[in-house]
Amino acid sequence: MKLAILLLLWQASPVNVRAYDTPNDAGGSITVTWGLDTTWAVSKIEIYRTQDPNVPDTLIETLFKVETQFQDLGVVDKTPYYYRVQIYQGDSLIAEGKTTQPAISTAQWFNSRRLSVLIILIFYTAFLIYFIMRARVDKNLFIRKIAGLEAIDEAVGRSTEMGRPILYVMGLGFISDIPTVASLAILKRVAYKAAEYEADVIVPCYDPIVMVAAQETVKEGYIEAGRPDLYKESNIYYLTSDQFGYAAGVDGIMMRQRPGAVFLQGYFYAESLILAETGHSIGAIQISGTTAVTQLPFFIASTDYTLIGEEMYAASAYLSRDALSLGTIKGEDYIKMVLVIIIFIGSLMETFGIGNHMLVNFFNIF
Amino acid sequence: MKKEIPLAITFISGFLLVLALFIPHKPFGNLEEIFNDWYIIVSGFTMLLGIDSLLGYNFGKIRRKEKDAPYALILILSFFLTLLWGVIEIIRTPEHNPFSPSSTFSRYFYNSIFVPLQSTMFAILSFFIASAAYRAFRAKEFNSALLLVSAVIVMLGRIPLGQGAAPYVITIIFLIFAWYFYSEAVGITETRIKLIYILVAILFVVLIYPIGWVYLRQHIPSFSDWLMNVPQMAGKRGIMIGIALGGIAMSIRIILGIERTYMK
Amino acid sequence: MREFFEKLSRIDRRIIYLTVFLATAIPILTKITMKIEPLPEVVKAYNYIESLPESTIVMVSIDYDAASMPELQPMLETFLHHAFRKNLKVIMLGHWPLGLPLGQQALEDLAKKYNKVYGVDYVFLGYRPGVAAVIINMGKEIRNVFSTDYKYTPIDSLPLMRRVKNYKDIKLLFGLEAGAVGDSWIQYGYARYGLPIILGTTAVMTPDYYPYLQANQVISVIGGLRGAADYETLVGIKGQASIGMLPQSVIHLVIIAFIIIGNIGFLVLRRTKK
Repeated sequence: MKLAILLLLWQASPVNVRAYDTPNDAGGSITVTWGLDTTWAVSKIEIYRTQDPNVPDTLIETLFKVETQFQDLGVVDKTPYYYRVQIYQGDSLIAEGKTTQPAISTAQWFNSRRLSVLIILIFYTAFLIYFIMRARVDKNLFIRKIAGLEAIDEAVGRSTEMGRPILYVMGLGFISDIPTVASLAILKRVAYKAAEYEADVIVPCYDPIVMVAAQETVKEGYIEAGRPDLYKESNIYYLTSDQFGYAAGVDGIMMRQRPGAVFLQGYFYAESLILAETGHSIGAIQISGTTAVTQLPFFIASTDYTLIGEEMYAASAYLSRDALSLGTIKGEDYIKMVLVIIIFIGSLMETFGIGNHMLVNFFNIF
Repeated sequence: MKKEIPLAITFISGFLLVLALFIPHKPFGNLEEIFNDWYIIVSGFTMLLGIDSLLGYNFGKIRRKEKDAPYALILILSFFLTLLWGVIEIIRTPEHNPFSPSSTFSRYFYNSIFVPLQSTMFAILSFFIASAAYRAFRAKEFNSALLLVSAVIVMLGRIPLGQGAAPYVITIIFLIFAWYFYSEAVGITETRIKLIYILVAILFVVLIYPIGWVYLRQHIPSFSDWLMNVPQMAGKRGIMIGIALGGIAMSIRIILGIERTYMK
Repeated sequence: MREFFEKLSRIDRRIIYLTVFLATAIPILTKITMKIEPLPEVVKAYNYIESLPESTIVMVSIDYDAASMPELQPMLETFLHHAFRKNLKVIMLGHWPLGLPLGQQALEDLAKKYNKVYGVDYVFLGYRPGVAAVIINMGKEIRNVFSTDYKYTPIDSLPLMRRVKNYKDIKLLFGLEAGAVGDSWIQYGYARYGLPIILGTTAVMTPDYYPYLQANQVISVIGGLRGAADYETLVGIKGQASIGMLPQSVIHLVIIAFIIIGNIGFLVLRRTKK
């Protein structure tokens, strides 16, 4: 008898259940939370739901592990729901609890978890726009020499002297990848120079859309140099969308056509060294550039010049000397200085355990 | 108009996607997925463009009877054979799948041609790494000597034999350095600098035992991990932050229409 | 004498290639396996899989193809041994269509060995295009992407798949990565839906994934042939990766020897030039 009462009491052990609209989402979701006693050996948790507290609720989910939260994705917006949670130890119910207030799901207009991103973005864009404006007035923005870009003209010239074509490899990037767009800017310059020297530019492509963009770019370069008659569309063609098939194909082109200058500009994976070493073995002057950090050491070891990461992104501004583009590079440099200072202060604070309340809160939003 | 319309499309879609990052509410919340789906559909069709270019280029070679026309012929034949067999297998197999277990030829083709060819290409990398390492790791100056020693340590740290071999390798490398500094010293007339060079040479000889035979023999895996996780990672993170910032600046240039090399 | 050192600093590529070939081929033929101390990352991955209770559902993603087969196939096979021994339920899919048959063959072979039943103990979903879109949509509802398996069987007719709605029901993603798909798994699968991830990566890609490991965004990373051999050791299998350890050790030493030889030649020549 005593045991039965004890069991009943035990069964009645209350659990604090809360249900609320899941924050920062597009609606259609309610988050249910509950407290668990650490002494319980939970075997399963059952979650029940109803729209009317006077109507019996139905089981919507059974969890088989110790959790204190559940996201109900099967709800309709702007409708009230009530939840009940039952917690089991073995086969017996040990605790139960239900919500008293209805939970209503809605969609939010702002994702507050991304506040930090928004702040950084606004700052960054403001910096860039300020420098773009300034660049319109001040035409003499200084930009340091980038050896890899300076060498383009020389490479094209030397290749022409040897009577050999120029090979331009855009890597495995798609047109949606920024390195590919940056590579197109460099390709335009190469095409422009090649047209001046009356040399051929061969561009084997990994992706058909990139191929079309490359054709347009080369054509534009030839037109700008005043030699549209020299442009050959058939020199820019699609090879394959298979990584090592592409590497094999490009290596074959290198061995058979013996280009005097090889440009490896874009996004590369494990094939980077296969291409660069073959290029080296045929004695071509090689200029590489990529944002793939793991492939940079290979390029640095095997090619004559390497554009490291953001140098590639700076290429179009550097080569065109367009004031607006140069402005964005200036802005980028300043924001980088700001970041360096923030990182430095943050690491100092962390190292010395300084807990200035305001600063810590400021850094916490990131 | 030829330029304005694409620029407007770029601006609007770029701006909308940035906005969608911060607004979960419909219709912004799932914009990224919608755009992604459109991209997949469009890029699927562009494969036809690729095939057209590939076949056109290679047929052209055969027509012009170029030197490598035989290769072009092999490419075209393999292309159509694979395509044809895929279609036959789709009709023939009960699952209508060219890669189902019952499609014997496709599996045979895949296992005995495709797999070895691909593996071979990747395997070539090991040969190239050897020749590139041989050429690139030269102690031309202090920095490159540092690079050389860390490369050797990382290589030793990653292999089971590394701990056993480390003392010998370090002995050889340190002896080379010691001998280098000593031989440099011989040619120097100024006594003070000469003395410094000789001291450095002696230091290398003295350090062989504590570094190679005591420290590295015990700790080479953890030291190599430290090199990878601390100095290597720090440099890499620096480059990555630069790339990210450069990427944002580039994207803003594209959205604002400043960067337009990719269009006519 | 000078000529000799000049030769040392300018060894012909073909001699290097031949040495590399012999240094790999001969040790492979001996089939000797070496005793190795598993790396802590691999031990962590092993312990996590070991801690999963029986009949937990795990997902395997084949994001590689034949090129990376020597490194990643042993990892996949060891994982499948591990999972089937522990009676875990395996769902396989992939983002590299040309690699999927490799995954499928290993799955079928090992399922047969452990007497596992299709649809109950394991399922092969196959491929759908659009890496990021696939990963995001599966996080909401797996049926949005895979309404059928690779044989066009509706997945609701498979007992195993009836237990799966989205990533909430999957306790581990084991991604075999030869490229950048792992980034998408982490950025969308982990960051948006909290999917626990272990990655098996090729040696070339491993440094790319280490920052995620340091930031605890993945449970662990099993890197390259060495990682595969470590995992084989922990699971207790003598597989291809363990056999590959001796050639790998020898080849590392050969490359180090070449570097040293090159430097001897280089330094002597520089001295005599002065």
